[in-house]
Amino acid sequence: MSPETGIQKSKGGPPPGGMGGPPPGTKPDTGPMVFAKRLDTLEKKTVYLVDIGFGGGYNFMLRLQKWFTENMPSVTTVVRRKPGRVFADDNNELWDEVKVKGHAVVLGVAG
Amino acid sequence: MEDVAKSERGRFLPYAFTPLPAISMAPEVLDRLIVGKDPDTGKIVITEIVEALTKPVSLKKPESAPSEAPGAAIPQMLVGPDTEDNLQRLFYDKGWTDGLPIILPTEERVRKMLAGTSAPPDKVVAEGFNMESGERRAYTVNNIAVIAVMAGARPEFFPVILAIAAANRSAISPSTTAFASILLVNGPIRKKIGMNSGIGVYGPGNMANAVLGRAWTLMTFCHGGGKARKDMWSSQGSNLTYNNNCIAENEELSVWTPFHVDKGFKAEESVVSIFGGWGEINSPGAASHRSLVEELSIEYGTIPPLESGATIVMDPLVARSLKENLGFSKKQDFCQHMSKNVKIPAGQYWKTDYIDMLVASQAYQGVEPYASWKKLPDNALITPFPNPANINLIVAGGAVSPLWKATDYRHGISVSVDKWA
Repeated sequence: MSPETGIQKSKGGPPPGGMGGPPPGTKPDTGPMVFAKRLDTLEKKTVYLVDIGFGGGYNFMLRLQKWFTENMPSVTTVVRRKPGRVFADDNNELWDEVKVKGHAVVLGVAG
Repeated sequence: MEDVAKSERGRFLPYAFTPLPAISMAPEVLDRLIVGKDPDTGKIVITEIVEALTKPVSLKKPESAPSEAPGAAIPQMLVGPDTEDNLQRLFYDKGWTDGLPIILPTEERVRKMLAGTSAPPDKVVAEGFNMESGERRAYTVNNIAVIAVMAGARPEFFPVILAIAAANRSAISPSTTAFASILLVNGPIRKKIGMNSGIGVYGPGNMANAVLGRAWTLMTFCHGGGKARKDMWSSQGSNLTYNNNCIAENEELSVWTPFHVDKGFKAEESVVSIFGGWGEINSPGAASHRSLVEELSIEYGTIPPLESGATIVMDPLVARSLKENLGFSKKQDFCQHMSKNVKIPAGQYWKTDYIDMLVASQAYQGVEPYASWKKLPDNALITPFPNPANINLIVAGGAVSPLWKATDYRHGISVSVDKWA
């Protein structure tokens, strides 16, 4: 017999706490994500460089900031670490700040 | 992250990759990565970053395979007749094995396995989610019986395997790190199916320990998990996932309550418990020149706990010594003692990669004791187990030598076996 015999498959996202699903409390998948309208230029804009907390991410963002300082000096960069845990429990504080003070975000991991 | 970026959900996500590793690289190396080529596209990384912020985002074609129609059951009940060698090859090629030969699940063998439970074959045991296809999947007693046969189980093992399935956990984590588990069995079923809880409890040679642990991994493979670069990204993997540290607690030689009783089950119930984590120190010697707490301070300086989580599997001699010589009449007394007396340097704690990644955010948010620990000098000693309730003590081994295994494994779930008998 096949080990896949009769397994029922359906859509509807992961069951709560189910095997292979995202952590409990994760919002259901609502389809493709939509991003903000792109900028015409980065000149004189503020770019947030956000490290999500994986090892090495913060140092990478610091070097990215250095590159902008040396190569695109009119760009203001702000290096920040995401306030919540790597995978979850964000508050909106940083994202609200970005909306008010920033024009773009580079979100990064490392590994 | 890469998997999501290339999936249906991430079709709008502009991203750039640098060659790995970026972690722990010197500043000048990071500088080279920024102006170097993206290994996926061949474009300059910084150019991609700037363009991602200034050019319209194009809809990328998802790389995930399209899924089958919702609600469809995989129609093929049987694989065609063939030689044993060819069928073994077929199961291997389909990704349904752990790499070792399996017992071929003939209809007759599956029927015999189903006699090991009173649960009807069509009863749903667990629901899972396949990350690759985005499908929810329901697994029945019959599905699990096929796996049990493949693992080499006898029908009397089947209720334990159903309980493992009902726990609804994957034996193989999608993490890039190498997770492993402990699969602990408590209660009368241990003796009934001949599990080893004594000498060489972790070692090979006992059918029940070997088969039960293997069955969990086969479940993961056959139900769509553990596929490299799909939902298994562990760079090195773990050979512990062949068997998942499947052991029985030595309740007969333990001076303390069995683990399942600690979790609210009755002593006469049979229970499977699952623990997961990364690190395990197989203590090479006894606490002969230092106290056990001093030894544990050294070991947990190497594998600091997350949320006070630890599972220490100790030989019956260790537990007996702790109770009879050192006065810890209950497990919980020793856990309290550990909580107050295991100490490691703050700098060593915070400079551990996963502690910074997973705990530092709580310190930044003011959560105690992490916020206070974050302010300490590197050489200040902290007590990394503030919550003794998250320390698990298990007694297993042959009472030959007072040794233990110190792990950072955290208790995930305990499931009754009896309801599947």
